[in-house]
Amino acid sequence: MVEVDNRIPLDWDALEVGEVFEKFEYTLTQDMIDEYRRGVMDPEAAFPTISHKVDVRQFNAKYSDNGSVNARCAFHCYNSPFPGKKLTVTAWVADKYLRRGKNYIVTEAVSVDEDGRLIDRVITHELKQPWEVGKKWEG
Amino acid sequence: MGGVERSFSEGDPVGPLVKEITQEAINLFEGSSGESGPSQFTDEEAARETLGTSGTVASGRMSISFALELLRRHFGNDVFNRSGMVDLRFLRPVRPGDTITFTGEVTETSREANGLKVNVKIEAQNQRGDTTGVGSGSAIVPQAYLPPEE
Repeated sequence: MVEVDNRIPLDWDALEVGEVFEKFEYTLTQDMIDEYRRGVMDPEAAFPTISHKVDVRQFNAKYSDNGSVNARCAFHCYNSPFPGKKLTVTAWVADKYLRRGKNYIVTEAVSVDEDGRLIDRVITHELKQPWEVGKKWEG
Repeated sequence: MGGVERSFSEGDPVGPLVKEITQEAINLFEGSSGESGPSQFTDEEAARETLGTSGTVASGRMSISFALELLRRHFGNDVFNRSGMVDLRFLRPVRPGDTITFTGEVTETSREANGLKVNVKIEAQNQRGDTTGVGSGSAIVPQAYLPPEE
């Protein structure tokens, strides 16, 4: 069965800074934490939420495009998440800009757990012409 | 509160932290979110199609994780996990087989309402000496952890 892609083709010019996406909820499991810690080779890593890419998840669920590459990312720690707790993520378009002829979109997200603890905040600048990576570094 | 007193001064070295990047580590990082589909991080064909690279790359978010570890080790879990942050720009792809060394240096300290804010500059280099990422980070160290003021 072929999956229908109902996403909206991204129109960079029309994209509104300040657009807030539908809240996203997930439960962080101990398995997720363990797998993340093995991946980053850090048994004390406290913020496995970074691998969930929650700031772009809802963006990517709404818009289709040619992919992207992470150009810059900021991560703020407030409280380590607990396994088994449901996390609610609010994400929005924080900015967009054109630099050297390339389009960037900045997304931002905050995560809060089911007890109301603020967990983290992530801000990502994505280059929307990902093939520039190959052009620059493989040429 | 209380615990061990710590002092922070401009010029203090932070790290280093060395990470050997493998495809297995990348796959674990990507899989830890429950996503299992091929991507530019886990699949060479997807990387070729999306990025135009000859192989996979590591997500910039892995470098963020390593920068978090670098600063957490410096400030301590109790301080950094409550008030820490990192901000990195990604300058070159990090690939499986790379060894990335993260280093930092304290650049500034300032008194804030809730403690001493310590700023750190961060750099990541691969085994060839190429810079893969640069940026900064910080943490706010509560007064209770600091030596008494003169």
